[in-house]
Amino acid sequence: MKLTRRITLAAFAGVLALGTAMPAYAADLIAIITPSHDNPFFKAEAVGAEAKAKELGYEALVLVHDDDANKQSELIDTAIGRGAKAIILDNAGADATVAAVQKAKDAGIPSFLIDREINATGVAVAQIVSNNYQGAQLGAQEFVKLMGEKGNFVELVGKESDTNAGIRSKGYHDVIDDYPDLKMVTQQSANWSQTEAYSKMESILQANPDIKGVISGNDTMAMGAYAALAAANRKDVIVVGFDGSNDVRDSITSGGIKATVLQPAFAQAQMAVEQANDFIKNKKSPEKEKQLMDCVLVNGENAAKLETFALKN
Amino acid sequence: MPNRLTWLTRFTGMMLAVLVGLGLSACKILPTPVAQSENNAPAFKPDKMVEDIWASKVIPYLKQKAGPFAEVHALAKTDPAAAGAKYGNPRKQANSPWTFAVRVEGKIIAANTQSRAATMDIDVDGDGKADARVQIGPAMRGTALRDSLDFVQFNDFTNQIDFAQFGKAFNAYADKAVLSKLPREALEGRAAKMVGAYTIEGGQDLPLVTPAEAEIGPKP
Repeated sequence: MKLTRRITLAAFAGVLALGTAMPAYAADLIAIITPSHDNPFFKAEAVGAEAKAKELGYEALVLVHDDDANKQSELIDTAIGRGAKAIILDNAGADATVAAVQKAKDAGIPSFLIDREINATGVAVAQIVSNNYQGAQLGAQEFVKLMGEKGNFVELVGKESDTNAGIRSKGYHDVIDDYPDLKMVTQQSANWSQTEAYSKMESILQANPDIKGVISGNDTMAMGAYAALAAANRKDVIVVGFDGSNDVRDSITSGGIKATVLQPAFAQAQMAVEQANDFIKNKKSPEKEKQLMDCVLVNGENAAKLETFALKN
Repeated sequence: MPNRLTWLTRFTGMMLAVLVGLGLSACKILPTPVAQSENNAPAFKPDKMVEDIWASKVIPYLKQKAGPFAEVHALAKTDPAAAGAKYGNPRKQANSPWTFAVRVEGKIIAANTQSRAATMDIDVDGDGKADARVQIGPAMRGTALRDSLDFVQFNDFTNQIDFAQFGKAFNAYADKAVLSKLPREALEGRAAKMVGAYTIEGGQDLPLVTPAEAEIGPKP
């Protein structure tokens, strides 16, 4: 009894404090939760979503979960506590996230997922994801062509908890495994990390000096691998990445990495905010919850048009 | 009175315990009847799914929807939306390019059977120049067959891996049932006829058609 009263009082005081601290015209809040901004891809998402939210008159709360499902759950609580009107989320695990998004839904807050999908429908309002599989197929087709359909290669895989690591790897093999003369000598995870890819590549190269190509699950790992190859004077090794970062663009235009696959991260994040806005203001859900956005191959022919995860015309 | 209530409660509790006990002892532990995949979902069998709908749904749909290549492609270049309404999949993903059902009939003027992603270039209008490039496997690109079908929806699949494997299963089935039986030698100059689908994509020299049915005529 006593405890309840104390909580009620505290809550009342809190409301009062909030009421005085916040101006009456405070804008509605949209929470934007992504993995760490160390990877420019996630930063582009956050920047794109935040810009669109502000443009539409919202306040933005930008948070990072560092691919930790527990932290993500806490951040969802924060968004609920702050009374966010919508959550834009690049999530921390296809299974682990379902409960967190359900929690937001139960609190009356719609979630709009970007980049990574979850293994449930009807929980989030929208899941706008890059067609990573289609993108991986594009990257692999280019890789196969560059390799001349034969030779030894290495695959660097992303973080296991991220659905897209598995999707991309499957997409690569979907294409590459049709060519029996292409032989994968080793497949290792470098957890999306540039430094980890560098050290992994160093030791892979020592054990397998006869490699002809490296196909990487993302651009940061491709950058790390290429740096290790360059340091070992093996710039002849073909490297293909995924994401379409400016770093890899610069490497492609200067004759380093051969290709990458652009995910429209910026456009995707903005589209999610537009759909959130439509939901908040007009109570309108997108026609389909799961929306796939196709990826685009970036190589020497179009790399110069790439800027912050978008192709200029 | 209060005593009686307590007694009643106790009695009910005892009865319940006895019932539960009886219930439990009546149970027999049975092994799980069917081996299930890790996440307890029924196993996803894309190849079987495609096999089941190929003759009954896929081929009839493509045949009914397809237009002659020259007509489809001319309209696709000038008015993609109109071409989409007529020959495309109207229920496609909003952000995806159109995929059209087509009939390609003409003369093979070039073939690349060195690559495992073998193709033949077809002249459909008799001007001696290739108009379409047809994939003849065994390795095939894209998911045009899947994407041409209005009864296949991404939202019906657990995730994009399943959706993609379903797409690949169409190519695999076309290869197994049709394309692997086609001749590979001396293709130039022969007549060819197929029903299939293609997706409008940038940066291609020729539209890339994935056939679901194909015939190649005798050597000229």
